[in-house]
Amino acid sequence: MTRVLEALGIEKTFRNGDEETPVLKGIDLTLDKGELVALLGASGSGKSTLLSIIGLLLAPTAGSLTISGERVDGLSEKMRAQFRNRRLGFVFQFHHLLPDFTAMENVAFPAAAPAGGISPAMRERARDLLTRVGLKDRIDFPATRLSGGQKQRVAIARALMNRPDLIIADEPTGNLDRDSANLVLDLMREVNRDDGATFLICTHDEGVAERCSRQLTLDDGRLASNVSEPVDGFTG
Amino acid sequence: MFVLLVARRYLFSSPSQTLLLITGVALGVTVFVFITALIAGLATLLTEQVTGDSAHISLEPPTRVARVLAGPDLPVESVALVSTFQREQIRNWPMVVELLRSDPAVTAISARISGSAFLVKAEAVRPVSIIGLEPQGIDAISEISPNIIEGDGDLGADGLLIGVRTAEQLGLGAGQSVLLRTERGVDRQLTVKGVFRTGVQSLDERIAFVSLQTARPLFVLPEGVTNIEVKLNDPEAARAKARFLGEATGLRATPWQEKNLGLEDALQAQGRTGTMIQVFSLISIIIGVASALVLSAYRRRSEVGIMRAFGVPSRFILLVFVLQGLLIGLIGALIGCATGYGLCIWIEGITRPDGTSILPIAPEQGGYVWALVLTTLGAVVASILPARSASRVDPLEAIQQ
Repeated sequence: MTRVLEALGIEKTFRNGDEETPVLKGIDLTLDKGELVALLGASGSGKSTLLSIIGLLLAPTAGSLTISGERVDGLSEKMRAQFRNRRLGFVFQFHHLLPDFTAMENVAFPAAAPAGGISPAMRERARDLLTRVGLKDRIDFPATRLSGGQKQRVAIARALMNRPDLIIADEPTGNLDRDSANLVLDLMREVNRDDGATFLICTHDEGVAERCSRQLTLDDGRLASNVSEPVDGFTG
Repeated sequence: MFVLLVARRYLFSSPSQTLLLITGVALGVTVFVFITALIAGLATLLTEQVTGDSAHISLEPPTRVARVLAGPDLPVESVALVSTFQREQIRNWPMVVELLRSDPAVTAISARISGSAFLVKAEAVRPVSIIGLEPQGIDAISEISPNIIEGDGDLGADGLLIGVRTAEQLGLGAGQSVLLRTERGVDRQLTVKGVFRTGVQSLDERIAFVSLQTARPLFVLPEGVTNIEVKLNDPEAARAKARFLGEATGLRATPWQEKNLGLEDALQAQGRTGTMIQVFSLISIIIGVASALVLSAYRRRSEVGIMRAFGVPSRFILLVFVLQGLLIGLIGALIGCATGYGLCIWIEGITRPDGTSILPIAPEQGGYVWALVLTTLGAVVASILPARSASRVDPLEAIQQ
């Protein structure tokens, strides 16, 4: 099994003047290719902080981070940005689509911006991804004219655009109604099953977590993990 | 270019706001163009008024100065004295005239004998400046013939042309004779062949014209001339041309600017005033663009943050905002240049009953290239700060907002 993520002894302490707040206290976490892992925990348990560190948006105070065999915790800001662009995909609680662009342009954006333009190949891939997330008839729709669930599906397609090694999703269904949430989760499972894409999904929703292949629970900055079998029905 | 597409989308996502911004820039550029054209037109008018009826370069004999001669070989202190045995004159003037004629920049040449004299009629005596010149070249420097209001202006052997003020003061008219007493003590009875009115007081009151041949015995100059007056096709080139002529002929060459230092100062002061207005226009444009882009960068923090999260390079985000500044500046400047030109043309078309424009504006000298370049550059400079701030947005902070 190919190792996608290896985080060892990850610590994060926030400092405010002389006051220190330890949030993560030595996290060891590994993810293999094709896993769909849920990260559970109460509010303030450090879920988002851990995701931000794994997503190279935040530097750990201590520990080592290896993604797809590459040690990334010491990379410069520029190299981290390049790494995020090529190897990581993000889905946030809020879709964060660019309102002045169409669904297709939003999906193609992570590939087009560094390349300086949307090539025909990028356009084709963006269309394929949108078709796959069930938005074939919304490809050229402005992002502002899509429903909440559709926007989140576009966000998933955007996260897949550069064929990332790891997709990090922070409460991806948190802002959706039950039907839309089901659709989005089904979609992530489908991509996971068909493409072997690796997902790390941060959620506080047990229903979402139950449909993942593995559940990790973060409690007071420490990780406890267990394995669960995926279930078919998601009840939200 | 994808970055241009993003900049354009951002810019025109709020059409009314962008329209207002571009209108502001265009207004600033219109002011810039209008002031530049007005100052250029005013400068041209004043220069034409000064140079229209006078020479652009005056060539005169070199000034002779008494000086102490120093040197180790001289046993006693020696002094070079100014000789008063010879008149100051240009003896080789035909050669100088030939040289001037070969110069394409020279449009008119007038070799003259100038001197002071009194016109005496009975008990009335008026001082005048006599100009002796070739009769066919009387209009070379000042328009005299078209302004003759009495008589035919044919100078002949003993003819005299006087200004209307002189004629009024002495009660003279065409055909009447008058006694001329020169500074050399020569008296001669001359006939008034014409009276002119130029509207220039110094000419109408103080100047009288005779032929060069008449002037020679009057001022005891059988060969030479006292000065050569020159006009150029470009009055602004007078300084350089005077320097060249001075070196080429050994004569004292004085450009019109040195004879009108007051005008030059006034033009410079006017130019500085215009520059200040232009600078303030540019500053207001820069502040307007900068504040609009600062707001835009702030409003789009979360979008920029998500781009940064996806690893979009900082340079790309920087360019998005700089290009917005460039587009605002360029579009605003183009519209401003067009409206500025239109305004100048419209004002130029408003004329007085005599057909002259109410404002001496020069629409073709609106500084359009400068307005375009400076405004676009200014807008780009104005966008750098907000662009830098946007490119440094912390993606995590922006996403969590």
